[in-house]
Amino acid sequence: MTVMKKYLYRRARVLLLAGFAIALGACSGEDESVTIGLITKQEVNPYWVTMREVAQQTAKDNNVTLLTATGTSDVDVYSQQAALKDMIAKGARGILIAPTSSTALLPDIEAARRQGVLVIAVDTPVEPVDAVDAYFATDNEAAGRLVGQYATVKAQLLDLKPKIAMLDLAPGISSGEARHRGFLKGFGITPGDPAIVAMVDTEGDRELGESRMAEILAEHPDVNIVYTVNEPAALGALAALQDAGADLDRTILVSIDGGCRAIKQAVRPGDIDATAMQFPQNMAREGVRALASALRGGDRPSGYLNTGVELITGDPAPGVKSRDVAFGVRNCWGN
Amino acid sequence: MAEMADDDGPESARIVAVPMRIPFILLVLCFTAWGAAANLTDILVGVFRGIFDMSNFQSSLVQSAYYGAYFLLALPAGFINNRYGYKTGVLVGLGLAAVGGMLFLPASQILEYDMFLLALFFLAAGLSILETSANPFVIAMGAESTGTQRLNLAQAFNPIGANIGVLMGAVFILPALTPEASKVIMSEPELLASQQADLNLVLKPYLGIAVALILIWIAIMFRRFELPNPPAVGGGPAASGNVALRLWNNRHYRYGVMAQFFNVAAQTCIWTFTILYAQDVVGESPENAGWWLQASLIIFLFSRFLMVWLLGVFRPSRLLAVMAAFGVLCCLTAMFSLNLVGLVAVAAASASLSLMFPTIYGMALQGLGDDAKFGSAGLVMAILGGAIMPLVHGVVMDLSSPAMGYVVPGICLALVGAYALFDLRNERSGFVDTGMPAPGGEAS
Repeated sequence: MTVMKKYLYRRARVLLLAGFAIALGACSGEDESVTIGLITKQEVNPYWVTMREVAQQTAKDNNVTLLTATGTSDVDVYSQQAALKDMIAKGARGILIAPTSSTALLPDIEAARRQGVLVIAVDTPVEPVDAVDAYFATDNEAAGRLVGQYATVKAQLLDLKPKIAMLDLAPGISSGEARHRGFLKGFGITPGDPAIVAMVDTEGDRELGESRMAEILAEHPDVNIVYTVNEPAALGALAALQDAGADLDRTILVSIDGGCRAIKQAVRPGDIDATAMQFPQNMAREGVRALASALRGGDRPSGYLNTGVELITGDPAPGVKSRDVAFGVRNCWGN
Repeated sequence: MAEMADDDGPESARIVAVPMRIPFILLVLCFTAWGAAANLTDILVGVFRGIFDMSNFQSSLVQSAYYGAYFLLALPAGFINNRYGYKTGVLVGLGLAAVGGMLFLPASQILEYDMFLLALFFLAAGLSILETSANPFVIAMGAESTGTQRLNLAQAFNPIGANIGVLMGAVFILPALTPEASKVIMSEPELLASQQADLNLVLKPYLGIAVALILIWIAIMFRRFELPNPPAVGGGPAASGNVALRLWNNRHYRYGVMAQFFNVAAQTCIWTFTILYAQDVVGESPENAGWWLQASLIIFLFSRFLMVWLLGVFRPSRLLAVMAAFGVLCCLTAMFSLNLVGLVAVAAASASLSLMFPTIYGMALQGLGDDAKFGSAGLVMAILGGAIMPLVHGVVMDLSSPAMGYVVPGICLALVGAYALFDLRNERSGFVDTGMPAPGGEAS
């Protein structure tokens, strides 16, 4: 009996070790580690912080070594050029870059690609677009169109005779121009329509948004529809409207971005009527996954990936697809 | 196996006599298992809302299925115990709950919300029978004099299970869910694949619970032991027709049942929607939101110890009134402070909940004498509040905002406070302390 017990014990031990070895073998099937880089524009704007954080989490989940670098401002070309060279020297075989210039970085990007490095532009395109392998970004025209559609339906519901103020970005910046174009299409008007009483550049800045809006209101106190290129400009415009004692219930203020500050402080109480949310999370997540997959032998990323846009409002307009403020709070970027 | 009486001996003075240790441990595992299952369900409301893209009202049906089953099975469970004994009751409960856990398997393949509700109904039905049987079973496992201590010891593992349940959700489900933002750009086939992957995440903890329940079932089924203090089996004293009328005419009892209904309602609402509040109002990630629910349960656990001490200092109804007022304050803060302060208030509301179930239980049964045995059933069935009021909370969220939903538990807690004030202002005639321990039948 004792001999039998010992025999069974030995057999059980052998089986256990065999099982352990099989389990170890199963665990060893992890993806090959690859190194990629992410270069953003700056870290003051929470948009870029969110992009970096999601990229880091996605890299961790996908066994990817992620190098990160950032500039000091939206126009800091020099830092991005240095980061590109540094990352290639450190072995990055794929790079995600949000270019601070559509053209100034082209020589460095071309040099990287000649060395076999895959490059995806995120958020902002380069010119020509095929200077990079792929481009992952918000469809800015679609974002503008969504807020334009919302504004026109709301204007009809409020029985307003549209007097539109457009607070744009700056001349020559493609994302701002696409948003502007989209708004006009969504609203159902063309450039030069008499309903547009003012068009100013704000550089997407809150203070400029406020001062330019105050100037517009001084000249056109009857403005009842305000388009803003981004939420800092919208918050500035809102402050000017409040200072001027405008009837916010009969003024439609729309914007584009999806930052947490504006969603919680202005969209939730209804001060900004609607905003088109873009998703830097998707640019980062899809970018890291696409590079990791390609570097492991999968398909090379190519063309344009629309990273999504959703209209966020607490006061939906009939016939215009939108998500509620809770969705906005859950998916906004920043704090 | 026959359940036989044991001779009184030195062993009977112990809380758990040596021969009863293994059976007692098995029942303790039951207490832990139903605590885990109940609070894992709190996480499911938000998870299903995301996976099936539903309204808050629709996702709240999870709690209706769960607590509805608890309510509906309370009386049949009593019948099983009376007719066939506690061990049979425990085995039927474990078996049914395990079937419910296993039903998650086909549900996750069919990808139908209704199938998950059915699985939850079976799971909760089993746990209802299990709970109804396990409480008196534990009491009968030793001398009558140590019954209350034994039950309290076993019940101490219920909140531990509750924390394990939330921990499973926070660790295994919430962090791995498909991010909502990424669904925005998914094609239909990609969405379907993500739905399947997310439902598989839900499946694993429930399968784990089902396997644990089956193992406990086998261990109890084949463990031979003799109860030293067995109940009479095969009938038992039925309540006379006058008892129900007497109880109904007793305002302390009648209002007590109502207060218990609103207490369970408030507790279920607060815990069910903690995760949704953290996400929808404050913008926390799903995994962080899970930790906030975990924090609520820990507050509940520690606060309960504090309340036990305070109940020795203050009159129960006075303490109940104060804590109900605190709970209302927390709900008001949650409604109007749409930030971290509001979220802290939601978590802090668990402190107010911690004393309510046993305190209302004791207050309502105070002075009832033999009628307390029948009256306790009414108090346990007040768990129906957990099935109904989360639906109302969900509707308010859908029609107004996630934060305003907290008006529902706020009103519930105010009504509990009103009961405490009623008790303070209306002295009872013929005070009799029943000495009955409150069961662990609260929604934890």
